[in-house]
Amino acid sequence: MAQVMMKDLNKKYDEVHAVKDVNLHIRDKEFVVLVGPSGCGKSTTLRMVAGLEEITAGEITIGDRIVNDLPPKDRDIAMVFQNYALYPHMTVYDNMAFGLKMRKFPKPEIAKRVGDAAEILGIQELLKRKPRQLSGGQRQRVAVGRAIVRHPQVFLFDEPLSNLDAKLRVQMRVELKRLHDRLETTAIYVTHDQVEAMTLGDRVVVMKDGWIQQVGEPLELYGKPANRFVAGFIGSPSMNFVDVTVADASGALWVETAGLRVKVPPALSGRLGAYKSQHVTLGIRPEDLRVASGSDSADYSFDTVVEVVEPLGSEILLDLKAGPNVIVARVEPTVRVKHGDKMRLALHPERVRFFDNKTELAI
Amino acid sequence: MGRARDIRLAYLLLAPALILLVTALAYPIGWEIWTSLTDLSPLNEGPTAFVGLENYRRLAADPAFWRAATVTVVFAAVTCTVKLALGLGLALLLARPFRGRALVFMAIFLPWAYPASVSVIGWYWTLSPPIPTAYSVFMGNMKYAVDSALGGGAWAFLSVTLFNIWRGSSFVGVFLLAGINAIPPELFEYAALESKSAWRRFWLVTVPLLKPFLALAVFLALTTAFADLANVWMLTAGRIVYPVIGTHAYWLAIHGGQFGPASALSLTLAPFLITALFLLFRMFDPPEREPA
Repeated sequence: MAQVMMKDLNKKYDEVHAVKDVNLHIRDKEFVVLVGPSGCGKSTTLRMVAGLEEITAGEITIGDRIVNDLPPKDRDIAMVFQNYALYPHMTVYDNMAFGLKMRKFPKPEIAKRVGDAAEILGIQELLKRKPRQLSGGQRQRVAVGRAIVRHPQVFLFDEPLSNLDAKLRVQMRVELKRLHDRLETTAIYVTHDQVEAMTLGDRVVVMKDGWIQQVGEPLELYGKPANRFVAGFIGSPSMNFVDVTVADASGALWVETAGLRVKVPPALSGRLGAYKSQHVTLGIRPEDLRVASGSDSADYSFDTVVEVVEPLGSEILLDLKAGPNVIVARVEPTVRVKHGDKMRLALHPERVRFFDNKTELAI
Repeated sequence: MGRARDIRLAYLLLAPALILLVTALAYPIGWEIWTSLTDLSPLNEGPTAFVGLENYRRLAADPAFWRAATVTVVFAAVTCTVKLALGLGLALLLARPFRGRALVFMAIFLPWAYPASVSVIGWYWTLSPPIPTAYSVFMGNMKYAVDSALGGGAWAFLSVTLFNIWRGSSFVGVFLLAGINAIPPELFEYAALESKSAWRRFWLVTVPLLKPFLALAVFLALTTAFADLANVWMLTAGRIVYPVIGTHAYWLAIHGGQFGPASALSLTLAPFLITALFLLFRMFDPPEREPA
């Protein structure tokens, strides 16, 4: 049971500043996911916690110990690697027992812990096999089991599901979540997959270029992204961004561009007032658009032409053109349209976001 | 009918490999085995006689053969062990990034990359300086001391051994470095997360993971040691004071003209090499066992 604190954490390689002033407080028993595109510094941060990378500046605390100068073995962490890092020359049992053997645990204790972990993960039958005789999902389980037997203060996961096929990944995701609920061990989980981040994390840390962009609960990141990057990264398909001008007309604020003109929702008009006659970015998620009906206000709807129709079964994704702007909308599966059709779209006024064009911060 | 054609095609496709194997391997080996059972020699008059195992019988009774065999085995075992230890050390050293690694890599690889003839001469002159200086006097005394302590020819044996180690270690080192680089770094990182003791990590993780590469390295080291005729020849300027099987056989065949006994002599190495190859290959590529 332990909290993890990162204070002004920095990592510099010869020419690359990989991690910049990361401050993060991970609470005891919390499941925190670091997510971001490759090269954003998430893995480096995790590896600094593990002790596999030296810390250039700053401090990492696990429990109540500063671990900067502790060797990895003494940090009381257990790590699961993307390629599982199982030893091909050892059986599953020996792989799982490796860390305990290294720490000179008595044999009966090792056998008990490995047995317990194998039961939790449903791999009792596999203990005598070698890793090459296992499927990807089974190897993944062994790698997790190897971490569980250690009863560590903190689990570190480095993209553990990325080598699995899509179906297995979804299944293992659920299992990891269940496992965390059961073991209640603090976990730091690195992934580039925003769906994994949203579904697994108690809190999600979005990183880019070594900086933390935003820390928050999944729905907070989705609903109130701090900046344009987070808005575009979280959610699939991505949020639509349209460059618009703020205009004052008939006593209300409007944003407009060729082919699109909508009223600024009252809740945002106060903050947007400072941007009169300036460019800002309008952000609207595909799921916050719908086919306009008679009851929809003309203030919040606009005309489009259908470019591409992607029926997914449970929903339909439409690529539309509003003037020169490409907009993706997620609509009901009952909507019947085809390429070239004209369509009026209505947006959800409370869910519209605006971003400053220079700072990219949410307005 | 289609099947018959398939079979014919299969043999046709196999033919190039078979021809190569037969001409380059089977024929010479067969000829050598046959020769070893005869008294074939350009010095003999009349037809060559089949003598059965006579050549082998004579070898077994010859103390010179046993001396050469012992020297060969000791030479191979010593060089092989030292090359493996040094090579593995170099490989582990080079596996971690550090400033100037490229330079160190070049320095280590140079003995192997350099033409043997040139490095042999360099080595020869290092041990037996051609110009009289204080150093040459020192080396002369060394040779005298070694020879009088360990018997005549010990110095020559030592210099051949050192040369083989010097040259071979660099090869083994680079070879094992490639092996280490082929192993996913996470396997070493995981070990570092679990154990502080570099010694235990070395024996429990590095060595088993490198086993296939080690087996190949041992095999290459063994064969070069057994077949190291040219370097022995050059280093000792042909004065074979400490004959190995290879030089002995060469001497018998080329200088003595006794092809039969020479063939028998060189074939005495075969069982040993074949056994070593078999064992090492099992280590390199262990048979798969089905899951229980």
